[in-house]
Amino acid sequence: MICLGRVVAALLLVAPAALAQDARLSARLDKPTLVAVTALVDSARGAKLPTAPLVDKALEGAAKGSDGQKIVTAVRQLSHQMGSAKRVLGSNAGPDEIKAAATALAAGVSEHDLAVLRAASGKRPLTMRLAVLTDLIGRDVPVATATSLVVQLARSGVRDQDLALFQRNVRADIDRGADPTAAATTRARGLVLRPASPGTKPSE
Amino acid sequence: MRRIARELRSPVPVSSALDARIMGAVRRLPRHTRLSLWSRLTTRRTVTVMPLSWGVLAAALLVFALLGLRHASDDLHRASKPIANALFPSIQKPAAPQRVQFVLVAPDAKKVAVVGDFNGWDASHSAYQAQHRGGGVWSVTAPVPVGHHRYSFVVDDSLWVADPTAPRVIDYDFGMPNSAIVVQEER
Repeated sequence: MICLGRVVAALLLVAPAALAQDARLSARLDKPTLVAVTALVDSARGAKLPTAPLVDKALEGAAKGSDGQKIVTAVRQLSHQMGSAKRVLGSNAGPDEIKAAATALAAGVSEHDLAVLRAASGKRPLTMRLAVLTDLIGRDVPVATATSLVVQLARSGVRDQDLALFQRNVRADIDRGADPTAAATTRARGLVLRPASPGTKPSE
Repeated sequence: MRRIARELRSPVPVSSALDARIMGAVRRLPRHTRLSLWSRLTTRRTVTVMPLSWGVLAAALLVFALLGLRHASDDLHRASKPIANALFPSIQKPAAPQRVQFVLVAPDAKKVAVVGDFNGWDASHSAYQAQHRGGGVWSVTAPVPVGHHRYSFVVDDSLWVADPTAPRVIDYDFGMPNSAIVVQEER
């Protein structure tokens, strides 16, 4: 009897590699960059990391006219940050959470703070919280203050839409000339002290 | 003892027909020749397969298809998702993209496009070309998949501008700013 198992195993080994090539990458990257990026994407797939953000990062670099070396470096760095994010957030973290967490790590949030925010949020998704945290840091709120405020809001069970409103208000305050730290602290205090909206549950 | 030893040393008489019988039997056996790879591939052979093997093969092909679609949908984004959804509606049913309005005030602009993770950073994508609404206000309402995305405006095909109203993304990998958007499923 011919061993069908060998045939099946060969099929399973060849399939992912064959499908891995993203046509968009082939169209927009030069050959050496394509080879390097594809290797990083395959490696991330092997580590069970989301690969779409890596492809997007490479496409972004190509769209912005960056050279191949810069693109490969950026993709490698993002892959590394997503690996750290996944390690901290756990295997249940979704691709968007991992992507947002990698962005937060790049902005200067520590892995320890990421773990604290994860614990403070219970089972709720972290994506919006991480986006707001990264935005605060980008608007010159010190990392420690921004992290502390977002963790506090998470512990208070603030909903995502209220967090989005908080971010818009802080931005508006800063645009009008307020000190970033004062604006963020004041708006966060107001949000925590505000009575919970109907349907809001405290965080798990 | 000597008698026994003598007995054992004496040759055993073998019939002269025995050799011929043995060689005849050997010659009747099928010949095993070492075939080349090409001969192995082109020579007709009878293959015996256990019925259970077909079940194993079918299961493996199903796994193969699922793996392939998962990788395809991961890498090729929305392009492959409709196929996966059509084939396996109960397994994978992602939330439908939400329509999002992007607005930029750019009084001197001749052309404004939105680029981001949701359109492969392609400034020529027709669905993401902003229209001038008057008074320097440009806007476009376009479908964006549920999830976290980075994006930017491209003004006049050359100037990259972060959305001033959206959360910022601190990545200076390529020296130009980005914004973030978290699109949630409508309830």
